Amino acid sequence: MNVEEIIPDYRLDMQGEPCPYPAVNALETMKELKEGEILEIISDCPQSINNIPADAKNHGYKVLNVDSSGPTIRYIIQK
Amino acid sequence: MNFWQNFKRDFLVKFWAPIPAVIALGILSAYYFGLTGTYWAVTGEFTRWGGHVLEAFGVDLSTWGYYKIMNMDGNIFTRIDGVMIIGMFAGCIAAAFWGNNVKLRMPASNIRIFQALIGGIIAGFGARLGMGCNLASFFTGIPQFTFHAWMFTIAMIVGVYLGAKFSLLPFFQSKIRLQKVSCTKPLEKNESKVKSLFTLGSFIFIAIIIWALYLIFAQGSTKLGMAMLFGSAFGLAIAKAQICFTSAFRDIFTTGRSELAKAIVIGMAVATLGVFSYIMIGQPPKIMWAGPNAIIGGILFGFGIVLAGGCECGWMYRAVEGQIHFWVVGIGNVIGATLLAFVWDDLSLELATSWPKINLLEVFGNYGGLFLNYGLLILLFALILVLEKRYLNKSKNR
Repeated sequence: MNVEEIIPDYRLDMQGEPCPYPAVNALETMKELKEGEILEIISDCPQSINNIPADAKNHGYKVLNVDSSGPTIRYIIQK
Repeated sequence: MNFWQNFKRDFLVKFWAPIPAVIALGILSAYYFGLTGTYWAVTGEFTRWGGHVLEAFGVDLSTWGYYKIMNMDGNIFTRIDGVMIIGMFAGCIAAAFWGNNVKLRMPASNIRIFQALIGGIIAGFGARLGMGCNLASFFTGIPQFTFHAWMFTIAMIVGVYLGAKFSLLPFFQSKIRLQKVSCTKPLEKNESKVKSLFTLGSFIFIAIIIWALYLIFAQGSTKLGMAMLFGSAFGLAIAKAQICFTSAFRDIFTTGRSELAKAIVIGMAVATLGVFSYIMIGQPPKIMWAGPNAIIGGILFGFGIVLAGGCECGWMYRAVEGQIHFWVVGIGNVIGATLLAFVWDDLSLELATSWPKINLLEVFGNYGGLFLNYGLLILLFALILVLEKRYLNKSKNR
């Protein structure tokens, strides 16, 4: 899905936080969301590339978009 | 032109998939052992750096037992471990610069700096007490058939579990709050910066290869040159695939993900056979004391790496990516290793040197030891599956 078409409901800006905190907080936050709501997660922990998308899928959420073209990575996840 | 652009995007810029990368590291580490006579390891060399710092301050190390074991001869440019680490740093820098993954990342709070330092010290101390980190006492230690690596690994999993519980206490939890938004956040895009970083990365990568070839062909130091080349491949792979040995077991306990832990077991299974072949043609394996030091060291190390957020090889690629947090972890590791060297002469007899060095190939015969190692690897794989299932059941009931 094109990132321009996505309108997130919430943002979790985890810049500066090392792993595992971005992934842990992302999962905690997803629990609070309503069905269909979209969360944008910003993380500059590069290792989150192996955590957040895999965890989101394992917990039954939809990964709409991942932008890892720069040092600050964006994940867009839908409940 | 198009071919180069595609190659660049797929292999140099993008992250690599972690699972094939770990298995490749297992294969490479076996060949590294065959060609250099030692295993892929980093903490021993960090300990020597701590020793050199002490020497620079006028401390006489000749009475310190630990530095006698570590063999302080020469310097970073003349030791196999030293040039391998230079290669590793170059590989890490190339990976970070090619992938536009360099940014000065400041810690989110002082609590994190405290965690990085204390965790780094505990991990550095534990690793040296257990005679190796995630490499020499785990990933490259188990394929050496040294029983101490198994003791260390199991203890480390316990330590990782305790560390995961501790690091998720309310005190350590992130203070960052959720924001209500109506559009995505624009991310920084600076094409000229990306280009110059890429060029710099290529320059460093080519320079390290020329240096290694010079060592091999002009100086005749084939082992040093090959160690440097292997180091650059190790560094490139861990950084491009963001291999974090710390996360392998930690994330089973934090989010129930076990892909990396399973891949590491497969990597070790491959390496075991390679290392076995070299031992069969006469290469002596690296065997360490199977004493309480491996268990205490493993628990401390597991706890420390999770508190710090990264282990002894993980901090290397993160430090060159500009993560200030991991500069502190690296300093902590060297302090912890040096502390262990300081107390070693008081502890070593009871905890380590009076205990036997157990080589599975000697105790159970060559093929007995080989199959026993595979049996233990299968049990470790099963343990990972059990821990993962336990997490998922718990999380469903919550």
